[in-house]
Amino acid sequence: MKIVILVMLLCYSFAFSSGDTTIHTNNWAVLVCTSRFWFNYRHMANTLSLYRTVKRLGIPDERIILMLADDMACNARNEYPAQVFNNENHKLNLYGDNVEVDYRGYEVTVENFLRVLTGRHENAVPRSKRLLSDEGSHILLYMTGHGGDEFLKFQDAEELQSHDLADAVKQMKEKRRFKELMIMVDTCQAATLFNQLQSPGVLAIGSSLKGENSYSHHLDSDVGVSVVDRFTYYTLAFFERLNIYDNASLNSLFRSYDPKLLMSTAYYRTDLYQPHLAEVPVTNFFGSVMETIHTDSVYKAFSSKTSNNKINSEMPVNQLSEHDELQKANIPNDELKTEKQKCPYTQMRVDLHEKLEKFENVDTVVNLGIAVMVFVVMISSSLL
Amino acid sequence: MASEKRDKEEEEVKTDDGSPKIKPRPIVQLGIFLVAHSPVFSVVFSAAGVLALLILPLLAKNTYISENALMPGSARSMLSNRDVSDGSKLVKDIKNYWLNHEGQGVEVQKLIGKYMSDMGAEVYYQKFHPEGNQFHPLHFFSGPDSYTLLDNVSCASYGVNVAGIIRAPRGDGKESIVLVTPYDFINGGDYEALSLGITSTLFSLLARVTWLSKDIIWLVTDSRYGDYRPVAAWLTEYHSPSFKVSDLLKCGELNTADTFRRAGTVAAALVLKVDGRSERFEDTLSIYAEASNGQMPNLDLINVVNYLAVHRQGFYVKVEKVVSLLSSSWLKIIGEIFEAVGKLARTLNPDWNFGIPAADYLEGSATLASSLYSQALGIPTGPHGAFRDYQVDAITLKISPRFPPDSKTRQHDFFLRGARLLEGTIRSVNNLLEKFHQSFFLYLLTSPSKFISVGVYMIAFALLVAPLPMVAASLYIEGCKALTKSTDNPTENLKSWKWLDAAKQVFALHLLGFIVTLLPYFICQVPGQHSPRNRSIMWGTTSSSLLLITFAIIPGCSPFSSRHHGTNWAVLKSVTISAAFIGLCLMSIINFATAEIGALLLVPTCLMAQPIKPALRSRRIKSLLGAFCSMVLLTIGFPVMFFAISKGLFGEAVVGLSLGGEFWTWLESLWAWKSATYLYIGMVHLPCWLLCLCILFHPS
Repeated sequence: MKIVILVMLLCYSFAFSSGDTTIHTNNWAVLVCTSRFWFNYRHMANTLSLYRTVKRLGIPDERIILMLADDMACNARNEYPAQVFNNENHKLNLYGDNVEVDYRGYEVTVENFLRVLTGRHENAVPRSKRLLSDEGSHILLYMTGHGGDEFLKFQDAEELQSHDLADAVKQMKEKRRFKELMIMVDTCQAATLFNQLQSPGVLAIGSSLKGENSYSHHLDSDVGVSVVDRFTYYTLAFFERLNIYDNASLNSLFRSYDPKLLMSTAYYRTDLYQPHLAEVPVTNFFGSVMETIHTDSVYKAFSSKTSNNKINSEMPVNQLSEHDELQKANIPNDELKTEKQKCPYTQMRVDLHEKLEKFENVDTVVNLGIAVMVFVVMISSSLL
Repeated sequence: MASEKRDKEEEEVKTDDGSPKIKPRPIVQLGIFLVAHSPVFSVVFSAAGVLALLILPLLAKNTYISENALMPGSARSMLSNRDVSDGSKLVKDIKNYWLNHEGQGVEVQKLIGKYMSDMGAEVYYQKFHPEGNQFHPLHFFSGPDSYTLLDNVSCASYGVNVAGIIRAPRGDGKESIVLVTPYDFINGGDYEALSLGITSTLFSLLARVTWLSKDIIWLVTDSRYGDYRPVAAWLTEYHSPSFKVSDLLKCGELNTADTFRRAGTVAAALVLKVDGRSERFEDTLSIYAEASNGQMPNLDLINVVNYLAVHRQGFYVKVEKVVSLLSSSWLKIIGEIFEAVGKLARTLNPDWNFGIPAADYLEGSATLASSLYSQALGIPTGPHGAFRDYQVDAITLKISPRFPPDSKTRQHDFFLRGARLLEGTIRSVNNLLEKFHQSFFLYLLTSPSKFISVGVYMIAFALLVAPLPMVAASLYIEGCKALTKSTDNPTENLKSWKWLDAAKQVFALHLLGFIVTLLPYFICQVPGQHSPRNRSIMWGTTSSSLLLITFAIIPGCSPFSSRHHGTNWAVLKSVTISAAFIGLCLMSIINFATAEIGALLLVPTCLMAQPIKPALRSRRIKSLLGAFCSMVLLTIGFPVMFFAISKGLFGEAVVGLSLGGEFWTWLESLWAWKSATYLYIGMVHLPCWLLCLCILFHPS
């Protein structure tokens, strides 16, 4: 029996590495406004509106990386000091008390943006400025600014090219920094920015096709500038009707874009994304709806992880079936079954935990494990 | 490099083979072809140059706002009736003051100053000397003058400017926008007071808005001493502070020592004037933009004002035009021809719609002519010129209301619209993050909303001067052949140095031109009061005697010297044309319009110049006609003559000796404004004209 448990632990660590079976653990959002200057007020308003929306739908501030290239609220030209509006009715101040800007002003560079995505930071960079996602994360990447054919302008000084973006996403995939990534871009010729993407699990949506401009929605004649872009405006209009419990699918979001209203054609790239869009709720990206795992006590569920790390992962694949059988044996009825299939990972942990609980002499198991390890080390070293 | 090497190798191979013909490069072939057929090409190119100038109104493009940051008209006007009543009150107070007082002292300035400080502005007064510019030969191109405050100034005459500064509440204080309203504090006209009313209305608004990012300076200048001088004096003080306490500061009751205040770099300036009654149904807004030496403010500034005036406030906007051209029948005929050609082209291909109605063409050409003339003259068309000396974009707006100045009911509406126009413009400039740089600086206007950019109008000039190098080359070759024939001794015949004699003559006459250019400075130094006529006579006689001395000293220069000493006329003409070409090209960089008009005059003269004697001897009609043409062109080309003719064209006939006086005054104004046109006339046009005269009377 002990051996079986050990084998199962090894098998568990094997399952750890395969991406498809990883479950959705958390949600992140990276919101980027890339342009400076007063007349680009709307880009900051776009980003802040999205920030407000994802926050409302449940992504906490520590999981949102907000990059704003300029500070319109404190611009001397702003008739409403310290306030940013995305509508001429001035009902909603987007720059209220709880806005945490992670990268501001000249910090918003292509380099910093790529560092955030790939996680290659200098040591001094605080955790709040890092995208600390894992292989179970769903990430929303929203970008707005001035773009062109396969590029997006940053700060009027440099450009992010579609190759750079694709490369960063590929690195993220390699480093298992996401499970699913949704890239939403509101610029002119936004669709071209996705041309080079290859990594699986990426869903991309852009405000306009190649050769098309993205237009602003309306002008606020008190502030004297356009305050929101069309694509973002209609995206927000869609989300304003939703709350955190709604089951609206991505498909319904995509269908809500009317080319006549946008004055451009929204573009979706879905070939890298396996799930059927009609079945994916928008809150998978724009919110943070987590499955609650019931545990008897705090942190117990993770205790197995520590022992797991100690074990060498040389494991025959056929053990998997055994583990499946074990899992099946524990299923009491059909309703639970569907739920468990949704997250085999969690279920497996629970099972293991239960098994371990049943053991009376845990110490013996651990001792045995160490003995096996020593044995394996001896054999391997003597072979070498 | 590699291809060059290969070419060389090929050439070598060919010569090794013994083939005698080396094929020259295509560009060399083209050059040889052009030089060989230079008479035909020079006629073709010159005609094309003139034609290109004539079709410029057709090529004019509509203006557009090039700078994204400007966003004119995107903000709602915030002017309220309270602001307007502030403005009206100021005008009323000033009028009352005039009713009760005789103009002396600085009471009106103080009144305006009080209004400014009541609105929350920092107010100060500046005293300045009305002394105008003095001609100094070394001051050309040396940037703005530093009007050094003289120690021994009299308090008899000085002007007082009032300025108020509104600080941007959240701005960084690094930039500012200047509003200028000239006002005669002694005689104070009714219309001028209206300009104060408009600006005061606006100032009242700007003092309370929250969106300013640049400080606003309102400068009321003392226009007793002209429009330009007070502004220039203020700008000098603003940019180059003097740390010496002048006596001027203590003059009068107003002590202005240590009170001069500044804001940041001037981003743009608007000069507002109200005068005269509009002849049209709408209020008329005239835009003046030309600064010294044909420099223009950025086109975006004109675009913004034009856009707001036409689309928001409903003004009738116009720029200056040569009115006499509107009724000229030949221009009308040309316009009709272009219209017909445009229609024909359109029937052939619907995409070719370059044709414009003849009436539009006429308007466009009249405006273009005025634009060219103002730029060529090099004299600023208003006080905005003073700003250009500091690289500040500025224009003068002259508003002519459609009502008499004492109409109270209309005044309110007029103030509101005028102030809204200025508010919109200031809000646009306020949005700017950098200096004006997006749009054109080199352009000609054909209407307030149409322009011709440098890329287009340079073509006309390039075509016009293109024949010069060709003809110079062909004449040189011709002259060399003639010289080789005439000289008996072949050893003397150093082929490449033949042009040296001619060059000496050309250089001598250019030196003379230089001295003649500087003469007015010395004439001005002659003690005693002289009328302009006398001065011009002095100048004329000195110049002619200098010319005779040059002819006497340098043998071979003179057209009257013996044939033996004289250089070959063809070589002389070749060098003359080269000198003219270089002069024109240099001038086109400094002031395009001057070069264009100069080329129209100088190119045909230079090309047609030929000795008159052989033509008279041959008695062939063709050569006689040529001689006659060159004589006519030379007569027109004489600067005084051309001045008289152009005066006649503009409808002011000047005859007799008064012409000399007029011409002198005109030149005086040119150098007073440091116009490069003056240098051009003295150092390029005059020597080339003299050289053409030499060729005409050449003894060959």
